[in-house]
Amino acid sequence: MTEAAEDATPAAAPSPDRQGRSGGRRRLGGLLALGWVGLLLLIAAAILVGPASSGSALAVANPDRSAADGVTATLGNLPQSSLVLVAMDADLGTYPEIRPATHAVMADLLSRGATLGFVSVSVEGRALAVAELDRLRSAGVSADRLLDLGFVSGAEAGMVRLVDAALRPGMSSPMAALIAQRGGGIGAFDCIVVVGGGDIGPRSWVEQVGTRLPAVPMVAIAPTFAQPELAPYLRSGQLSGLLATTRDDAAYVDRTRPAAPADRSPSALAMLAGMMIALLVLGRQLLAAVPRLASGAPAVAEPEE
Amino acid sequence: MNGLIPEGMAGTIATWVAALVTIAVWAYLVGERRLFRLAQHLLAGLATGYLVLLAVREVLLPRLVDPILAGTSNVLLWAALLPVAAMIGAAWLPRRVAAIPIAVLVAATAAFALGGAVAGTLMPQLGAALVAPGQSPAALIGAATSALITILVLLAFLHGAPRTRLVAACAGVGRWLLIGGIGGWLGFLLVSRLGLLVDRVAFLLNGWLGLGR
Repeated sequence: MTEAAEDATPAAAPSPDRQGRSGGRRRLGGLLALGWVGLLLLIAAAILVGPASSGSALAVANPDRSAADGVTATLGNLPQSSLVLVAMDADLGTYPEIRPATHAVMADLLSRGATLGFVSVSVEGRALAVAELDRLRSAGVSADRLLDLGFVSGAEAGMVRLVDAALRPGMSSPMAALIAQRGGGIGAFDCIVVVGGGDIGPRSWVEQVGTRLPAVPMVAIAPTFAQPELAPYLRSGQLSGLLATTRDDAAYVDRTRPAAPADRSPSALAMLAGMMIALLVLGRQLLAAVPRLASGAPAVAEPEE
Repeated sequence: MNGLIPEGMAGTIATWVAALVTIAVWAYLVGERRLFRLAQHLLAGLATGYLVLLAVREVLLPRLVDPILAGTSNVLLWAALLPVAAMIGAAWLPRRVAAIPIAVLVAATAAFALGGAVAGTLMPQLGAALVAPGQSPAALIGAATSALITILVLLAFLHGAPRTRLVAACAGVGRWLLIGGIGGWLGFLLVSRLGLLVDRVAFLLNGWLGLGR
């Protein structure tokens, strides 16, 4: 059969396969539109109903506060005037998600009389640690209750070195003297709060420091995407507390609000605009993917046996 | 809003710069790639500069240069000059000499990571997955389900080995479970990124334009 004949015959009546694909595409498009309408209604309802019922811009019921309970219990068991190490290894890009929870934990610790020492083994974490130290100092926290242990190079090897020697050469402050008196390493601290988000984070701290100092309780704060990776450490007891979802963060911030003035929540307008932008981008990507999905995903190549 | 931007003129400048760079990054969404690329280059340049500054100020000077200038008796510090020279691309250093400290560096990094993964993750997680006697029925069912899912997913990675029909079927189920797990993780990632987007929008509307305060 020539090319001209091939073109002429099937064009008149679409094949059943093509009809099926077209129908599938329509169904998928309909489902997508339905999903959009549902999401928009949900957002509108949350914004309209939220302020009246909860007093916040956008709020839904939080059925699970166990993560916040775990962190509160760990911090509540610390002795008076405890030494707490804040391992600031967050990522600059994802820190805004965990910033309110991090601020709430720091304020909670300070309200319990704790003294905070900051250390970082990641470059971005060091930048954030410097910013947080400046923020706390400008908020009126006494210099005696803050200690900058600086940046430690070597990633995992640096953490292992911290176990025995956390102080930098030439450090002199009441807190540094107390740490030196207790041995000079991380073992001098009563608790470790790991703020993660990058490659080096709570998992590395558990693996390198937790195995060497199992008696020191460790609390982790991490972005939501790290939750599946870190949850097993909480269940096995290697982490004493974990705040790793927006829900857990919100529950903890809500709990500490009277003692610790939290960051201002985003306004309803900002949340609505953010949701809309996200929906637009997602919708654009999904619409581009619909033809591919309707025509069938490429099969996974099986290796020859 | 976040307490990290100072008050006064410095804060105002920082807010404006942050707002303009945010808009430059978002310009990618409407197809304007030059501004986006400019923001990318700005980020890469600033990050590299900051990394160099940090390495020099907080590592090389206080931990290497100052002790050597002070006449330290630690021979290892003199040896540490070799990897530093190799890292900055000292052409005069013979390749065989430069290779030794680099090899030690890579081997030590791998050893710490591997040792930590075995002692801190593999063994404790295996221990936690074991079913202890006297557990509640729900815990037993949960542990058995976890073990079953683990086995099925591991079977999905059984490539190249001879497989019976039953093993192939189990591997197929394992592959779907794996896809489900990845899908769940992508869901977590999406929620995480949504929070970041809302934070940026809130910064532009509330922190920069002063709307909705």
